[in-house]
Amino acid sequence: MSLPYEVVKHSLLYISEEMGVALRKSAFSPNIRERADHSCAILDWSGRLIGQAEHIPVHIGSLPHGLKNTLAYLEKKGVEMSPGDMYVLNDPYIAGTHLNDITTIRPIFYRGELVAYVANKAHHVDVGGIDPSSISIRAETLLQEGIVIPPVKLMKENKIMEDVVDILRNNTRIPDITLGDLRAQIAANLIGEKKLLDLIDKVSLPVFREAVEQIIEKTNQLVRQEVAQLPWGRAVAEDFLELDDRDLVIKAEVEVGSHGFRVNFAGTDRQVNKPLNAVLGVTIAATTYTIRTLLGPDILLNEGFTETLSIHAPEGTLVNPVKPAPVAAGNLETSQRIVDTIYKALSEIIHDRIPAASTGSMNNLMMGGTHPETGRAWAFYETIGGGGGARPGMDGVDGIHCHMTNTLNTPIEVIEHYYPVLFMSYRFRDGSGGVGRWRGGMGIERSLKALAPLHVAVMGDRSRHRPWGLKGGGEGAPSEYLIKKANGTIIKLSSKDVATLNPGDTLIIRTAGGGGYGRIEK
Amino acid sequence: MARVVAAVDVGGTFTDLVAVDEITGRLYKVKTRSTPQRPEEGFLDAVKKLLENFSPNDFELIIHVNTIGTNLFRGQLALKMPAVSLVTTKGFRDVVEIGRQNRPELYNIFYRRPEPIVPRERRFEVSERVDGKGVVLKEVDERELESLAEEMEKIGTESVAICFLNSYLNPVNEKRAKEVLSRRLKALIFTSYEVDPEYREYERTSTTVVNAALAPVVSRYIASVRQGLDGLGVTCPVQIMSSAGGLVDVDEAVNRPVACIESGPAAGVIGAAKVAEAIGLKRVISFDMGGTTAKAGVVVDGLPATVPEMEVGGRVHMGRIIKGSGYPVRFPSIDLAEVSAGGGTIIQVSKTGGLQVGPLSAGADPGPACYGMSGEEPTITDANHLLGRVEHLLGGEMKLNTVLAEKAMEKVAKQLGQTLVETSWSSLVLANLHMARAVHIVTLERGLDPTEFTLVAFGGAGPMHAAELAEQIGISKIVIPPSPGLFSSLGLLMTDMKYSYVKGYVKIISKDDEEKIEQTYREIEAYAVSQLSRKVALKDYRIVRTIDLRYLGQGYEIEVGAPHPFKLEEVFTKFEELHSSTYGYKHVGEKIESTALRVYVIIPTRRQTLPKTYNQRGNAAKSVRRVFFRDGFMESPVLWRESLETGYEAEGPLVIEEYDSTTVVPPDWRIHVEDNGCMVMKR
Repeated sequence: MSLPYEVVKHSLLYISEEMGVALRKSAFSPNIRERADHSCAILDWSGRLIGQAEHIPVHIGSLPHGLKNTLAYLEKKGVEMSPGDMYVLNDPYIAGTHLNDITTIRPIFYRGELVAYVANKAHHVDVGGIDPSSISIRAETLLQEGIVIPPVKLMKENKIMEDVVDILRNNTRIPDITLGDLRAQIAANLIGEKKLLDLIDKVSLPVFREAVEQIIEKTNQLVRQEVAQLPWGRAVAEDFLELDDRDLVIKAEVEVGSHGFRVNFAGTDRQVNKPLNAVLGVTIAATTYTIRTLLGPDILLNEGFTETLSIHAPEGTLVNPVKPAPVAAGNLETSQRIVDTIYKALSEIIHDRIPAASTGSMNNLMMGGTHPETGRAWAFYETIGGGGGARPGMDGVDGIHCHMTNTLNTPIEVIEHYYPVLFMSYRFRDGSGGVGRWRGGMGIERSLKALAPLHVAVMGDRSRHRPWGLKGGGEGAPSEYLIKKANGTIIKLSSKDVATLNPGDTLIIRTAGGGGYGRIEK
Repeated sequence: MARVVAAVDVGGTFTDLVAVDEITGRLYKVKTRSTPQRPEEGFLDAVKKLLENFSPNDFELIIHVNTIGTNLFRGQLALKMPAVSLVTTKGFRDVVEIGRQNRPELYNIFYRRPEPIVPRERRFEVSERVDGKGVVLKEVDERELESLAEEMEKIGTESVAICFLNSYLNPVNEKRAKEVLSRRLKALIFTSYEVDPEYREYERTSTTVVNAALAPVVSRYIASVRQGLDGLGVTCPVQIMSSAGGLVDVDEAVNRPVACIESGPAAGVIGAAKVAEAIGLKRVISFDMGGTTAKAGVVVDGLPATVPEMEVGGRVHMGRIIKGSGYPVRFPSIDLAEVSAGGGTIIQVSKTGGLQVGPLSAGADPGPACYGMSGEEPTITDANHLLGRVEHLLGGEMKLNTVLAEKAMEKVAKQLGQTLVETSWSSLVLANLHMARAVHIVTLERGLDPTEFTLVAFGGAGPMHAAELAEQIGISKIVIPPSPGLFSSLGLLMTDMKYSYVKGYVKIISKDDEEKIEQTYREIEAYAVSQLSRKVALKDYRIVRTIDLRYLGQGYEIEVGAPHPFKLEEVFTKFEELHSSTYGYKHVGEKIESTALRVYVIIPTRRQTLPKTYNQRGNAAKSVRRVFFRDGFMESPVLWRESLETGYEAEGPLVIEEYDSTTVVPPDWRIHVEDNGCMVMKR
């Protein structure tokens, strides 16, 4: 007698969690070890997601897409996966996010037979490119965003391919940290493999396969039951991204019906020669995330669910660009706007559980320079939370990461210990939440003074198009990016900008507040 | 004449008192209802009951465990959160609320943050600054603080937390601020440097704030306990169990209440450590399975493993606290992973139509269906009963009702299209899987290989599940201590006094630092000894040194034991071994950075042996019944534990009953009764 379904289901969750713990705890960069900007997953023999640790939505949603592309790529090249292999890639048009996210994939063989893959994706602070931290509005093609790694072997017969590692070493500003993080990624996959093989040993291979089919099938049934309870209908909405003085349009037609969910991005603007293009993997991840939030907590994010969701993203647009368009901010900013646009449409179909717009940006900050004490190059990356959109019956959450990201902040004491900066503030922005029956969450002010010359780049949004309210609620305060020079003059940056700070100059970032919900009763 | 040591455990529902008369070796047990509004009453009621057997002068020591800390932050009880004010560096008063800016539930758009302990209007900023190297950029302004004191007085302030950026490197501004405020303000004042002198501002602030919130409540409580005891004529000292698994005196408990937040569950691990010592085992896993949850902990070389940080008031997901769901507290506490799997855990059909075990529990009331107390949901105890593993509880005083168990299990089995036996067995396998998860968290995730460990199984249901759990994990040796159901309380009676001291030491270390580190250890030790000798007789004591290390660039440290005198090579070797076993690799030659030096002063208890706890009932007749194991039902002899002599050996299948627990020995397992009263199972 056996009960494979539950044993396998729980074990897969446990294993992906344990992979995540291993990756984070042995990583070198503050971005991973302090902010947890990584995700781990287990995929079955045909590349279907079967286990994931709940880390970063944009990673998780894009991993199955990335694996399928990778397998297709390798097949075209005539590469056959063998036991002891591990693959590495970051090509966004294959892996599905941006160059900073390096993916490692380990095929799992059980008695010579390919039975699964374990994979993880981690955001590396620097992979080369035109500016430190590799995310820059100055990039006009993918090649200016850093090194592009197609799927190549990182391990063969369980030995690390040092020549591949050397290529990476020579294409980053911070080789020690990059390689330390890569090792942590390898370790996480190896831990995942060991535990997965233990599991298959315990339940037997046929039982494992059967259980996987059941997990997917049962998720599908559950989603269909929930869809039956939702109001059905169709609505169209559009929202905007800011690029210089231009407004880029994201348009989505959303339909909820007996078939499940349909999202069509026809009408979205063409791709641009700035890094706001979201590769298809990101668009899939953002759409999947948004729809997932409509469903109950028991739904697993696997094919049983994604099968009920059809996505149409026309080629050559912001939501499905063609190589070599630059993409670094696609999964940071465009992904957030995709979420907003779908919610806006949904708010006309489902009336009691759609939130107003949240801060709408990951408020990315990139810094780098030469460390005055060591003389070595340094690079730093972080994202800043903002105001959550107000919900029916609840205020929005103040100063928190919304939607497509969920990374932790970097402790100020860590940054000040390692880098030549001094923080001036980290606090809520009073009055920044949109007014309403329920108010939007407050944005954050984070500001820092340069102690040595340093290069900064900001990648934000919602400085003109403020986060919208719903049902009569007001808009959230717009974001602001300022430099206060040592002599007191203030320079206003655009939401996507680069600048040089001299010692004594202060960078001030104020993130947007969330939109309000409902009219204020007079 | 008697010499009584009593342990009082004030829980959410019941207050348990276990006492031993050290002259006769006899054990006493008292249970009273807890009084959440005034917890000292339940405590004193229990002591009063014990006084029916003794005179007040017979008391030598009272050891105490309570859940006031956790209850205060869960907001369950009518305990009122004290008026706490927070003083921070200018620009940073919201750090404590922003937390780590993440949301604990990825897909929940209706997520709500825990209410801040210090609301915004009670958070004050002052101009002062220390930089990332510890250099004072701006000193505190006394006049600013004086007017702040006035304002805090005006709004009513019971206690104050002071937390400035980078004070872990240089506390001078915090110290000065405390001095000035103390002159003007009648309140308890805590600096982050005193409470938690380590880096990462949010965690340090949170710990200091939690400490400030607890202090008034704990000191009022301790004072009324003391007063009540004095009123009863009981003048012996009271010691409190700390989360790190040692006893501390009441002064420490009042000044650093964060040290004692989560002390109850730690007692079982202490007990397991004592068993390990008695039997001579280097590595044991303590496995405590009770009515609603199962908990796993680890003991290596006699020392219970600790973790440096926890969250109070947080929620647990798959055995681990969800980061961001509660209030972080950085203080070493015994490493425990807890999962919803106990005798009362409910078995049901999940939304996806599969079998689901937990997290709901039928608790003690109504309890499992077979208790006949109108429980209608099937539970793990019902499953065990239907498989013939347990027939009755309390040594036969409480019969289990098979018909009710069948009726309850039928509801689930029918939906799954299974037999009662299939559903019952599947439920046990799932419960064991959850429990194996808890064991993996405290072993594999900490770089320990669980298969090298012995499982010490206790709690009412522990010995019933131990063998199959051990098989699931790959363990081949189990120890069942005497009185498994009472074992946690016994652990309290065997606890040593333990004080911890830490000094932040963030530095890339090399051979040149050896002397400086040795000197720093000596300074911490001298300070510790001078502090302690003021309040306890320091005769036999042990000092344990550890150092937190990581590769330069990593964000998480590994706590490594350090020799006396300090030797760099030795700790580096240990560190690399641990790193390698945890993460599968080491970087030989890579720079290693220290972050903190820790010193533990341990004053051993004299009570080293396991108290004998049996009611002598004479030999129960041996019987045989059908018990289900993996491959089906088997005729299994049923024995009464007290009738087993030292040296008794037998092979499974076998069931061994005793007053407060039942041990199940599957086929392939052998059992042996040791002379210290423990049963050892091997396969």
